[in-house]
Amino acid sequence: MNPANPVTLENYLIVGAILFALGMIGFLTRRNMIIMFLSAEMMLQGVAINLVAFAKYRGDLGGQVLILFILTVAACEAALALALILMLYRRRKSLDVSLWQEIREADQEPIEDEEPLPTPPKPIDFPHMVPAGTEPPAKKESEEASHV
Amino acid sequence: MMVPPFLRENWVILLPFALGFVAIYLLLPRAGRLRPIWGGILAAVALVLAGDLLIRTEGFTVETLLFYVFAGIAVVGGGMMITQSNPVHAALSFAIVVLSTCGLFLLQAAPFLMAATIIVYAGAIVVTFLFVIMLAQQEGVSNADQRSREPFLATLAGFVLMAAIVCVLHKTYDTSELDQIARELQAIAAAKNEAEIKGLLGDPLKAKEGERTLEVVAKLREQFSDPREDDNIAHLQRAWLLMKVEPLKAKAELLLIAVRAKRSAQGSLALDDVPGKTNTPGKLPAANVAALGRTLYTDYLIAVELAATLLLIATMGAIIIAGRRAGELR
Repeated sequence: MNPANPVTLENYLIVGAILFALGMIGFLTRRNMIIMFLSAEMMLQGVAINLVAFAKYRGDLGGQVLILFILTVAACEAALALALILMLYRRRKSLDVSLWQEIREADQEPIEDEEPLPTPPKPIDFPHMVPAGTEPPAKKESEEASHV
Repeated sequence: MMVPPFLRENWVILLPFALGFVAIYLLLPRAGRLRPIWGGILAAVALVLAGDLLIRTEGFTVETLLFYVFAGIAVVGGGMMITQSNPVHAALSFAIVVLSTCGLFLLQAAPFLMAATIIVYAGAIVVTFLFVIMLAQQEGVSNADQRSREPFLATLAGFVLMAAIVCVLHKTYDTSELDQIARELQAIAAAKNEAEIKGLLGDPLKAKEGERTLEVVAKLREQFSDPREDDNIAHLQRAWLLMKVEPLKAKAELLLIAVRAKRSAQGSLALDDVPGKTNTPGKLPAANVAALGRTLYTDYLIAVELAATLLLIATMGAIIIAGRRAGELR
């Protein structure tokens, strides 16, 4: 039995849903701003799979057209978001999004880092010795006499 | 303990998601994270179970194999992307996800979209990400990469969402009734003589007054409510009553074709006989680029112009924002 459509619509929708939910987990969990943005882009990929599946099963090209526009908007969004991330990096020298907690809501507690990375040990301040010996005396008159 | 009936019915579907939840939680970067081999093994088991239990395909063709390969690589790449500490590895995993998504596009008769997505996403956006990672390097090991915010609650929320969507999809696209009817019709079409048909459907002479209608006929009448198939179903019923073997088998084969077509179109949400609709469900025009161009520039013209304006403004914005020196911001 060789049916026309062995892979039905439902299977593509399942794959789209899995990619979307994985992207959502990545966006909510990670602290690196670039990986957060990559997860948002993966959510868009999940939606794109859904749209293409519906376009094929309805015989309507509107789904593919919508994906072309999503591609356009995603490219613009990537350009602007990465520019903004670069500006934020230049301020604090870090891509950590938890450093920007002062823009949270007024009645929310800040999220404390419960297990921060161990700080590297400070360099030991070794004592310095006084340089030994005496400075040679200045010999300006004899040098002037020899140059003439 | 009272297990809710929902869990009892759907535990087969929920099992791979429970395993996947534990796997992703173990793999997310945390203090004192276990070695990634444990999470990896659990994730592999969850993926194999999901492929076996969730994906319902019929027959094993090249299309099915390609679908499994591309979908598997996409899901594995997605899992890798959200759990990698190194942002460069995450960007490369995202490129893998994009490539396998393009493979799925190709399976769905969208070749132009495949090429456009590879060029724009994997070619331009991922490369831009890698450039920004290069420009925004953090010294040594940093909190941003080795720790997560709320891994348990976020993973729980994501997997509850996944499980809810998949359970609803399973209920909506359930083809078990049509499969049952198809099996019975196939048995009738394969029967060789009267005795076998009497064994399958019962003897019409011995049926009592109220049981003259075949079970199969009743189910068929339920499924096919439009009048085109009524003749065939009525002929099937009469052929059984008069025990004419050849017409019975012929009608069974015709109805089997109709049932298979209905099963293929099960998820299509196709509107029948809509005036002005030229495309048939399940078939996209073969000249994909020409047809896309035609719809873009006739039906969606305003959207194309707006998208062009958006691209221009975004380019200008990105240059202006990222071109400032840090001192000029004060």
